[in-house]
Amino acid sequence: MSIVKTTGIKARQDVTTLSNGLTLLVESMPDVRSAALTILTPMGAASDPADGLGSANVLADWITRGAGERDNRALTDYLDSLGVQRSTSAETVFMRFNASMLADKLPQVLPVYGDILLRPMLSDAGFGPARDLAMQQLDAIEDEPAQKLNLLIKSRHFPQPYGRPVVGKKEHLTALTPAGLRQDFANRSTARGSILAVAGAVEFAAVRDMVEQHFGLWQSKEPVQMPAQAAAGGVWHEQQASNQVQIGLAFDAIPESDPDSIVLQIAINILSGGMGARLFSEIREKQGLCYSVSAGYMSLKHFGAVLGYAGTVPERAQKTLDSFLHELQRFSAGAQRDELDRAQVGMKARVIMNGESSAARAGAIAHDFYHYGRPRTLDELRARIESVDLKRLNAFLDTHRAGKMTVVTIGPAPLAVPVDMIG
Amino acid sequence: MVTFKHTQLKNGMDIVAEINPDAQSVAIGFMVKTGSRDETDDVSGVSHFLEHMMFKGTSRRSSADVNREFDAMGARNNAFTSNEVTCYWAHILPEFLPAALDLLADMMRPALHSDDFDMEKKVILEEIALYLDRPGHVLYEAIMKDHFGRHPMAYSILGTKESITALTRDQMKTYFDARYGPGNMVLAVAGKVDFDELLRLSEEKCGQWKHLDVQRQYPAAEIKGGRRHIADPKLKRHYVALMCPGPSAQHDGRYAAQVLADAVGDHEGSRFYWALVEPGLADEADFSFYPHDKVGSFFAYASCDPARSGQVADILQSELKKIILHGLTDQEISRSKNKIATAAVLQGELPLGRMRNICSRWIYNKEYKTLEEDLRLLESVDADAIKKVIQEYPFDPITTTTLGPAAA
Repeated sequence: MSIVKTTGIKARQDVTTLSNGLTLLVESMPDVRSAALTILTPMGAASDPADGLGSANVLADWITRGAGERDNRALTDYLDSLGVQRSTSAETVFMRFNASMLADKLPQVLPVYGDILLRPMLSDAGFGPARDLAMQQLDAIEDEPAQKLNLLIKSRHFPQPYGRPVVGKKEHLTALTPAGLRQDFANRSTARGSILAVAGAVEFAAVRDMVEQHFGLWQSKEPVQMPAQAAAGGVWHEQQASNQVQIGLAFDAIPESDPDSIVLQIAINILSGGMGARLFSEIREKQGLCYSVSAGYMSLKHFGAVLGYAGTVPERAQKTLDSFLHELQRFSAGAQRDELDRAQVGMKARVIMNGESSAARAGAIAHDFYHYGRPRTLDELRARIESVDLKRLNAFLDTHRAGKMTVVTIGPAPLAVPVDMIG
Repeated sequence: MVTFKHTQLKNGMDIVAEINPDAQSVAIGFMVKTGSRDETDDVSGVSHFLEHMMFKGTSRRSSADVNREFDAMGARNNAFTSNEVTCYWAHILPEFLPAALDLLADMMRPALHSDDFDMEKKVILEEIALYLDRPGHVLYEAIMKDHFGRHPMAYSILGTKESITALTRDQMKTYFDARYGPGNMVLAVAGKVDFDELLRLSEEKCGQWKHLDVQRQYPAAEIKGGRRHIADPKLKRHYVALMCPGPSAQHDGRYAAQVLADAVGDHEGSRFYWALVEPGLADEADFSFYPHDKVGSFFAYASCDPARSGQVADILQSELKKIILHGLTDQEISRSKNKIATAAVLQGELPLGRMRNICSRWIYNKEYKTLEEDLRLLESVDADAIKKVIQEYPFDPITTTTLGPAAA
């Protein structure tokens, strides 16, 4: 337990692990009347069976179609009557459950999530529609080139199984059966490695008792792990008669658990934080090459990557890619003090603004536990941002140059990528 | 304790503030009552293009200064243009409020340099191309045209490649001069703010702006309904949109219309959800209520396999027919009210959410409602109120526009 005070935001954090291995994180926020919960359970695309790619995505739909004593309609109506805003989705490592509500509804909502995770109906009637919707998602992605690019760049750059598109493969989805997927769920469902985070107008002891009661019987076993394989990398072009060329690039970076990850995060902000950041200012503002241009940092537990994106009409695409690569190269020469100042001010402001939102805090402490093994306080986040000076930043940029690139494009024609930059 | 303050500068600019001394941050925005519906054919897309140009510098600042100064405050900031309003906002820590106001107010009197105009035109054309790759957007623009016909709500917010290419800097300046009068905008602030200080700074930054008589045209909407299919052989999915008249932003029935829309077509637990998404017939099926300035619409949207397009269209129609015949059950009304109320409370915890709320309410109705008053009005919606909306707006005439790979 620790008491946090960051420019007036007082919050209390508590952590406990149930005997079955489920981690409970609670952040009590005095100035809100809402409560939010985030549950991460290691049932994502990365642990899909090798011949069942897309299973987690189907499960994320099927699992909420009735649980405990409530069938699909009763469960949906019940959560709606409580006004719960919610979503369930499969991600790479985890299946994620988010729910926001008025805090006094939490005692009614937590048991429902206990039912969903421990006693889902997984009925035959629900299986067909859940799979059908997952198949439709595959087609829908074909109609949205920007989304498609996002899946492609990850699958080309990330080591398998972490690059797997969550949506899976059509032939695998076709071959799924209710019995097979039920078995898959039984194999992967585990309290160990799962994280339940609650933030808002809540008290730790009361939440802990409820979680003990409704999640205490969750089975406990080692989360399923798939063997890792190197990524394909290189240059990949997908022919499509789209209006814009979609350009994606990726290169390796340190994982978030590395002590230097804060330096990398600041660097990414200098590159692509606000409207004054380098990519926006050099490529959009000064050259008018595109509407969207950005870089982002993505990390799983043991590896990280920087992902770049730009969308632009075919006649400007080559220049956009060239300018993007030029900015990345130029960055290794270092940043200016005012750039560092702006990035730090922006990141610190974001810490405080997110501190006002229970949903943001629930998500943040769950994220922290996965990467750092504990929730981080707002004060700590602020101190970590402030700890980076220009010397450390520039030393980092010099020693962590953009490495071998994976480049993916979608559009009417491929682009030329300098050979020395390709992984 | 949250309090509300309103004042008006001599030049007619309204200042509204919802003051919450316990907030950790503050949101500030200028909302201008102008959008694509205030355009004419020859300047289609100018409102949105102008919104971009407002970031391109003033007599005191270059474009780079504007962006850099927002970043130096650690602001989350942006702008948006709709059919009816253009809004420039920043979410900041309270100590930056004077700097943010200085910057935003300065931006409201832009330089509109020709070279910046030419450069930004390329960005706008990129944005148009980007949205052309999004079927949902293509369909929405098409149905607005089909539904509203010659009414100005039919104008595209982005404009077209042709209209933007032909647009000149002088046409934009003329539009700006005609629309950006202080009496046609609201300065709204929500969160931790000292109102007297805000008033003093606003006087200083905006007080000298000349009053201007700005009017919006309200021609009657002649909605005839109809049907159109747009074939695009590149697409894998079929997209269907329906639009019909609904209450306006000023209509008393708007709370009931919001409950009705949620019960019919929220993404979970609604009539459309059970009829289309839950059985896997459509991966998306929504029904929304769009209250505009003195005109309103209901809008339905679904996407499905092309082979199911007929079935999905039939179900959308038959669900709407059931509503006309039988209305909603009390349980449905109560669930939808709870969902909307929770969403409003969650949004109300964030200054940005409140700023947008008080801003647009002032633009449309010159009124302020506390979150609690809003929730009470929502709570008062019952089956009779729903029935009244349905009687007045019986989903007819209906415009149907579809987009997909099929030829017809």
